[in-house]
Amino acid sequence: MGLLTVSGVVAGYSAADQILKGLDFRVDPGEIVCIVGPNGAGKSTLLKAVAGLLRPSAGSILLKDRPIAGLRPREVTKLGIAYVPQEHNVFPSMTVRENLEMGGYADPAAAARRLDGVMERFPVLGRKRRQAARTLSGGERQILAMGMALMVEPAVLLLDEPSAGLSPVAAQGLFAEIQAINRDGVAIALVEQNANDALEIAHRAYILVDGRNRSDGIARELAADPEIRRIFLGG
Amino acid sequence: MLSEIPQLLINGIMAGAILAVPAIGLTAIYAVLRFPNFSLASHATIGAFAGYVANTQLGFSVVPALFCAFLVAGLVGLLSDEFVLKPFRSAGFITTAIGSIALTIALENVVRFIFGNSLNGYDLPMQRDWRFGDLRIGPQQVENLAISVVVMAVVFAFLSFTRTGKAMRAVADNPSLADIKGIDAARIARIVSFAGMGLAGVGGMLIGLDTSIDPLTGFRAMLSVFAAAVVGGLGSIPGAVVGALTVGIGEELSLLFLSPSYRSVIGFLAILLVLILRPRGILGQRAY
Repeated sequence: MGLLTVSGVVAGYSAADQILKGLDFRVDPGEIVCIVGPNGAGKSTLLKAVAGLLRPSAGSILLKDRPIAGLRPREVTKLGIAYVPQEHNVFPSMTVRENLEMGGYADPAAAARRLDGVMERFPVLGRKRRQAARTLSGGERQILAMGMALMVEPAVLLLDEPSAGLSPVAAQGLFAEIQAINRDGVAIALVEQNANDALEIAHRAYILVDGRNRSDGIARELAADPEIRRIFLGG
Repeated sequence: MLSEIPQLLINGIMAGAILAVPAIGLTAIYAVLRFPNFSLASHATIGAFAGYVANTQLGFSVVPALFCAFLVAGLVGLLSDEFVLKPFRSAGFITTAIGSIALTIALENVVRFIFGNSLNGYDLPMQRDWRFGDLRIGPQQVENLAISVVVMAVVFAFLSFTRTGKAMRAVADNPSLADIKGIDAARIARIVSFAGMGLAGVGGMLIGLDTSIDPLTGFRAMLSVFAAAVVGGLGSIPGAVVGALTVGIGEELSLLFLSPSYRSVIGFLAILLVLILRPRGILGQRAY
């Protein structure tokens, strides 16, 4: 059994519009697992279903053998899964420090201790702690969003296209941060359009097409597969 | 005519500061629940009458009576939102806003049934106005201004320094992210309904301290309160304060060229001008 196990999940935005059509997915402790696929494949929908934003109509989602499908997002967060949405992932009118405090809202007793740790890990957040989040650059906002997620010391971090809209340099910096977080023992499920870079840092990967599993395996091997390169990675 | 301007400005600041208290309530409710709760008018009236009972029948002085106004209006606001307006919310903000108009008419008539239609005054000591040259300031006006400033300071401190206040701002900023982070939006909605309507009750009593009260006290103030919230930026709490001062001063200055019975036109004009020139209001729609 993995740390996070998704089996045969069917989910979508309405009964007539099921995006995930019986999907399987697993994250083991200490892994970075990358999810790639064309637009509409269900990558972000999978993360939303795990995070509690969508209720699966079939299948199961287990965190350390405990069923979590259908739980409210805040209940999922309290159990150790932190989800970072692609957009609108910070509170824009609140300061960086207040954003981090809200990140740790589910566990207030430990939040004060973790706040210093997160600001040490991401010095830019410490320097800009009194600034409103809306004044940060795109890359800094993504760092803040990840910092907020780390405030609950999650077992699994779900990242939905963290490099979207970032410059190549900022994206490289972000991927380095993701690896550093993983080295500290946090398992990561990563959805990325920037599949080549994501496969470079991932241990394993899943390729989704039309809400179903197309293939999965060791990330480096999938990245080297000529057919997968041609169809999904731009040649 | 120009010699009247300093007096009107002072009156405007006093009136604006009082107006700011219910305007903060209205804008806070809008920021979290995303609909203009027009039942604020009747909650202001309920607060005014709760304070009246505490003052004239229980013998409370102004400040303890204001606490009663806050608690009673807040409690009625909490219950009316939970049992009357909450079921409307899934039907959209227009339906909920219309529901709040129906609610305010019903509550206003409950007040009328209990207290009648006549004017009622608080039991306050008679005090002579202070004179500074040609300027006259009533001690009660100054006390009301001080109370309003203290109430605003408490609201800002609550939003800035408490966990619940910050959670309230987070829900106003980004409700779905707040849910992901573990903030219970339903609990925050209850708190904002209680506090927002409590502030309306305090505002209703402050208006009554300056004049007298009847079942239409809140209704008469509602246009100015709504104008203050819109002018400042509906959903922005500092905006409500700026908007209230703008409307309060504007209404007083209008007396230079308008009969007092036309004063309410300023509220309409302010709403019209803001919607045409700067639809998001002076400070935009940021909650804080």
